[in-house]
Amino acid sequence: MFEIKHTLCPSCSVGCGINVILDDGVVVGTFPYKRHPVNEGKNCLNGRNSIKSIDECVESDASVLKDVVKKLESCENDKVTVVFSGNNSNEDLDSIKSFCESKGYQILSYADNLRKFDTSVSYDDIENASNVFVIGNILYENPLIGRRIVHAKENGAKIYVNDDLENSPTANIADEFSSKSVKEFLEINDANFDDESIILFNKVDSFEDLDLFESTNSKILPVYSKSNTKGALKLVEAISKENAVELLNDTEVLLVFNDDIVNYIDFDFKSISTVISFSPYKNDTTEISDFVVPIKSWLESDGSFTNSADLTQEFSSVYESSQNMGIDEIINKINGEME
Amino acid sequence: MSDEIKIVGLLCNWCCYGGADTAGTARMQYPPNVRIIRVMCSGRINPSMIFKAFEEGADGVFVGGCHIGDCHYDAGNYKWSRRAKIVQDIIEEFGIEKERFRFEWISASEGEKFQRTMDEFHKTLSKLGPLELE
Amino acid sequence: MSYVLAKSKDDAILEAGECGGAVTSIFKYLLDNGIVDGVLALRPEDDIYDGVPTLITDSQDLISTAGSYHCAPTMIGNIIQKYFSDKKIAVSVKPCDIRSIDELIKRHKIDPEKIYTVGLNCGGTVSPIVGRKMIDLFYDINPDDVVSEEIDKGQFIVELADGSEKGVKIHDLEQEGYGRRNNCQRCDVKIPRKANIACGNWGAEDGWTFIEINDDKGQELIDAAKKEGFIETKNPSEQSIEARSKVENIMIKMSKKVQNAKFGDAEAMDAWNRCIACYACRDICPICWCHENCELNKSYFKDDINIPPSPIAFQGVRLSHMSFSCIDCGQCDDVCPMDIPVSLIFDKLQKKYCDRTGYVAGVSDDIKPPLYSPDKVEL
Repeated sequence: MFEIKHTLCPSCSVGCGINVILDDGVVVGTFPYKRHPVNEGKNCLNGRNSIKSIDECVESDASVLKDVVKKLESCENDKVTVVFSGNNSNEDLDSIKSFCESKGYQILSYADNLRKFDTSVSYDDIENASNVFVIGNILYENPLIGRRIVHAKENGAKIYVNDDLENSPTANIADEFSSKSVKEFLEINDANFDDESIILFNKVDSFEDLDLFESTNSKILPVYSKSNTKGALKLVEAISKENAVELLNDTEVLLVFNDDIVNYIDFDFKSISTVISFSPYKNDTTEISDFVVPIKSWLESDGSFTNSADLTQEFSSVYESSQNMGIDEIINKINGEME
Repeated sequence: MSDEIKIVGLLCNWCCYGGADTAGTARMQYPPNVRIIRVMCSGRINPSMIFKAFEEGADGVFVGGCHIGDCHYDAGNYKWSRRAKIVQDIIEEFGIEKERFRFEWISASEGEKFQRTMDEFHKTLSKLGPLELE
Repeated sequence: MSYVLAKSKDDAILEAGECGGAVTSIFKYLLDNGIVDGVLALRPEDDIYDGVPTLITDSQDLISTAGSYHCAPTMIGNIIQKYFSDKKIAVSVKPCDIRSIDELIKRHKIDPEKIYTVGLNCGGTVSPIVGRKMIDLFYDINPDDVVSEEIDKGQFIVELADGSEKGVKIHDLEQEGYGRRNNCQRCDVKIPRKANIACGNWGAEDGWTFIEINDDKGQELIDAAKKEGFIETKNPSEQSIEARSKVENIMIKMSKKVQNAKFGDAEAMDAWNRCIACYACRDICPICWCHENCELNKSYFKDDINIPPSPIAFQGVRLSHMSFSCIDCGQCDDVCPMDIPVSLIFDKLQKKYCDRTGYVAGVSDDIKPPLYSPDKVEL
C-alpha cells in the first residue's frame, strides 16, 4: 500500500518538514511537504538523504543490556559520562536527564562549541531585517535558513558575510564579504548593529567569542547542527570543546545516546575503558563502542524537536518498529535491572 | 601564432580527422591552438562534452563530422546535427557567445576546408577574446 | 473527440464533489467493478492547503478526495513510474501530470494499458504557503477559516464555513507577487487532451461536469459508467462548447503574454551563483527518470564539483538531456532550497525547440521527441 506521511527533518536545527513515502510499510522515498511553513516543500540533500540512514541499522540486539548494566554497576557513578545530544527528542532528553540526575552521572552537553542564547528570533525576522550579518557558510550548510537570507536581500537588506570560503553561495550573495576573525568582524561592524539587524552564525573561533554577541544591539540567531540542540540546551547548558575533552579525560564509562561524538570531537576515545552506544544506525561512534544497543529511529518514534527559531514541533512515527526499544523504555529497563 | 586562445576540436575518425591529416601532410598552415580529440563518429558526441570543455577553459569548441549522407554509421551525423542545435541554444543562455561553438562537415580529402575553417574559427575567437565564465 | 455533460447519480458525491461530481463517480465505477486496483487522487491531509497523493482502494473512501485543491501543486507522473508501474490504477491528472505521463510512456516507463487517466482542466495552482499569506493579506480572512477554494472567471475565490464567498482577481494578486505559481502563469496547456477524458466546469451548466472525450478508452469509460448507473449524461449546447473554448483561449493568450515578458530573464541569470548542488531539481523532475544513473553522478562531473557549480556543466547537462521534453510542471522551482527559478530556462528551451521542430512536450503525437529519432532529417 502506497502512503505519504508527514514528519520532521532530523538533519539540522532548521526544523524543516519532510514527507516520507511508504510502500507496504517500508520507507522508500521522500516527497515535498509544501504545506510546511518552515521550508515550503524544499529540502536540502542531507534532509532528503536522512531516510537513507535507516538502511544502516546496527546489528546487535538488546540482549547486551545486561552487560551494560553490569558495567554501570561496577563503575563509580561520577566516572560515568552521558552524551546529551540534540539528536534526541525533547521527551527522550527529559528521560536521559532524570536518569543522569538520579544516578549522579556526569552530563556532556556540547553544541558545536556554541551555547544557549536567551533570544528568540523567528525566520520571518531574517526576511524583514535591514542588515543581515552571517558567520559561516549558512547557505550551504543550513540552506533553508540560507533561503531566508536570500529573501532578505530581495527585500533590500544589506548582507555582510564573514567566512573562510570566498566563492561559496553565501559569499556570492554578500554585499560585503570578509574573512576576519569573529571578534574582529563584530568589532568592525559594531556601528551597524541595531534592532533592525540580525546576526546568524553556525560557528565561532572560540567559546569566549560567544559573549561578544550578547553585547551587540542586534538580534542573534545561532544555528546548531542538530535537530533538537535548542531543546537540549533548555535542559542542560552546553560546555566548550576544551571542557568536553577534559570531561572525557576523566571518564571511565561513556554512554552515548543517539549521537556520533567521535565524528566531531578530536579525542582518543579508545582511552576510555568502556564506550556504550545507543543508536539506530551505524556510525563512527558505534564502530569504536564496546557495546551497541539498537534503538528506535525518529521515524519510529513520537516526540518533538525545538528548532533554532525556538519553535517546538511535534512529529509522530511513520511506521511501527520491529522490535527496537525507545530511549525511555531502555532507561526504564536499566533502572529496573539496577535496583 | 603563440596566442592564448584554446580550441578543442572533436573530429570524426572517418572524415574530418582525415581532413586534418590531409592538411597536415600537405603542410598547410593552420592555427596550432586547436587540440584535436578523435572520436569514432560525430553522433557519439554528447552536449555535455562540449560543456565540460568550456568549463575546463576552452575558448572555443569545434566539431567536425562527415558530410550529410556520408556517415560511416549511416545516420550518426544527423543525430549530431539535431543535438548541435540544442548545444547552441543552451550555451547562449549561460553567457557563452554562440560563435564559440562551431560544427562543420569536412571530408577526409578536404584538407583545405579544414585549414580554412580553423583559420576562420581562430579569427572569430581572437576577436571575442578569452572566455570568462561566471 | 466528442463532448458530453455528466453528473453523478450518487447524492453524497453530488454534494461533496465539484460541479456534478462526475469525476468521483467515474472513479467509483472503476473501483466497484474491479477494473482498477486503486485510484490515485489528492486528499487533504492537515487542511485544504495540504493535498497529498493517496491511493484509494475502497470506493467508500473516494468521497474524501472529492473537490478541487488548487493549493496542492503535486506531480503524479514520477510517483506512477516509481511505485505503480505494475499495478492497474486510475488517476486524476492536471495537464502537467498527463504531459509527464505521456513523456514517460514515450520512454517506456509507464504502460498506458494499465492506467486510466481522468483529466482535470487547470487554470493553475498556488503554493500552499503563498496561498495562505495572500488570503490573509488580500482577503482579510484567516486562512484557517477557509473550507474550499476555486479559480473561476479570472478570480481566486475562497469559501467560508457559513457559505459566504470572497474573490480577488488573479491578475491583481499576481501583480503583487502572489497568485499562481510562476510556471502556471506561463503554462499554455490548460486542457489535458492526452488523458482519456478531460473534465471541468468551463462552459458547463450549473451542477454538471463538462467532459471532453479524448480517445476510444475514454468513450468506453463514459459509456460504461453511464450504463452501470454511476453517471447521467446529456449533450452540451453549442453555447456551452463555445464558452468553454473561449475560456481556454483567453487563458492561453494570457500565458503567452507572460512567456514573452519572462523568458528574457533566463539569460545569464545570476541566481545560479547560489546553487548548492543539492540535485533536488533533478531528483524531483518527472522526466529525469534515470537520475540514479545520471551523467551528473559520473566522476568527471561530480568529483571536483565546485559549490556553486558552473551552470553550464550542471544545468547545461540536464538541459541537454531533457529540456526538449520539459513539461513546465515547476516542481524544480518548488523544491529548490535557494529559490532559483529553474523551470524558466527549461521551459524557454522547450519552446525554442518547439519553434524549430514543432514538438510540444507531452502534447505532440510523435512517438518520441525528434532528438531521439533515427530518421535522416536535419531539424
